[in-house]
Amino acid sequence: MARVQFQSRLDMLEASLQEQGEVVLRSVRGAMDALERRDIELCDEVIRFDDEIDTRYHRIEKDVEEVLAQQSPVATDLRLVLAILHDSMHLERVGDQAVTVAKLTKLAHGLEPQHDLAEGLQEMGDRAEEMVRIALDSFAERDVERARSLVDLDEVIDRANRRVVGQVLSASNPENQEWGMRMIVVARCIERIGDNAVDIGEQTAFVVTGEFHEFSDASTSL
Amino acid sequence: MTAPELDNLRLAQLAPAETGDVRGREVVFAVEGLEVSYGGAAALRDVTLDIRRNYVTAFIGPSGCGKSTLIRCFNRMNDLIPGAVVSGKVDYHGRDLYGPSVDPVEVRRRIGMVFQKPNPFPKSIYDNIAFGPRVLGLKAGLGERVEEALTRAALWDEVKDRLKDNALGLSGGQQQRLCIARALAVEPDVILMDEPASALDPVSTSRIEDLVHELKRDYTIVIVTHNMQQAARVADMTAFFSVSVDESGARRHGTLVEYDRTAKLFTNPTDQRTEDYVTGRFG
Repeated sequence: MARVQFQSRLDMLEASLQEQGEVVLRSVRGAMDALERRDIELCDEVIRFDDEIDTRYHRIEKDVEEVLAQQSPVATDLRLVLAILHDSMHLERVGDQAVTVAKLTKLAHGLEPQHDLAEGLQEMGDRAEEMVRIALDSFAERDVERARSLVDLDEVIDRANRRVVGQVLSASNPENQEWGMRMIVVARCIERIGDNAVDIGEQTAFVVTGEFHEFSDASTSL
Repeated sequence: MTAPELDNLRLAQLAPAETGDVRGREVVFAVEGLEVSYGGAAALRDVTLDIRRNYVTAFIGPSGCGKSTLIRCFNRMNDLIPGAVVSGKVDYHGRDLYGPSVDPVEVRRRIGMVFQKPNPFPKSIYDNIAFGPRVLGLKAGLGERVEEALTRAALWDEVKDRLKDNALGLSGGQQQRLCIARALAVEPDVILMDEPASALDPVSTSRIEDLVHELKRDYTIVIVTHNMQQAARVADMTAFFSVSVDESGARRHGTLVEYDRTAKLFTNPTDQRTEDYVTGRFG
């Protein structure tokens, strides 16, 4: 194969993206564990850890800039490089959502949680994590069908998110309600993680097919 | 192959949403089933494509793919090569370019050519440009014609105070723009460029590319280039040619692989061979 140096730079970029994905998943898991255990220390750790994610994002951004400037990629190579940049940004945003969950967990500290809702949020978090995992794997394998399956998984999270307000309002205890108000935003954060996973899936399809299409029309759903 | 089938073949290479502008443009050259051979050996086979007006069309491909052979068909330069045989059809504005009543000299006036190495005459800058019009008897307003051609070739400001100087004293990049001006002076319709910047430094190359961009407003340009990024930068349409080997493995000839909008060809080519070539994975 020609362009050995170029190919090795592309391989390194892809490896960096997968590493960033692992780091982001660790952050999401940390935020969900901190929420479940109401662990303030772990919350602080997740918040601090965001610098690590940002650093990785900026490194990938810089590498992409250099590859574009020096190697002038075209066709599939160009799409791959553009997709890696987009995916890295989506992952960075997933990291931001994890930070917001951690901050809200701190704000809700000392308030009485609503147990059914707390369980529901953990389930949402599990699914969001699974979605990010599938998004990264299907990108690595250029598996468009698997990437497309993210839409159905996202719908489950979206539905769960839409139910949260009702659950909060149904709580009779005012202290439960205050905790619930914080958790409305937590649910929204988890729902956004799912959206970012779908965005990564769309980039996989772009790399493989050469055409960008949104998997689902965001304007038709809440 | 019937006419409608051919038309479909040409358009099938373009994505539906992107054909509008291309399809609406006047066809300058309509090439159909073209084959060129030298001394009985095919150099280029079965080429069918349209060159459209006021577009820059680039021909890219590896050595021996026939891109220079094809561009030379457009002004009948192959006529000058002993043993060269052109079959198939090349229509120029609807007229058979190889028809019996066509005068090759008139063809070369309307279809100018610029070569890889600048080749000014060993004469003054002025005489280089005035040569063509004089031969054609276009003597009225010769001074204005020379100025106009040099201005269009973005050379006037650099040479206006030394028009009597020998053209060989100009830099390589200036000489190439002089050759472009010389082609423009006889009011052509098409300018063919065979690797026009491959002997130039990056700054001169970029001036030629800017010039190509300017000139396409008034002319139809066909450019052969080894430099893929140059094609990506300057061309509206790009044709990728490759080398085919016959079953015995003994004979090789050029073949048209893919012809499309340049942006499409460099972002999402249809043919794997194009993908391999533009990404540098060829071979």
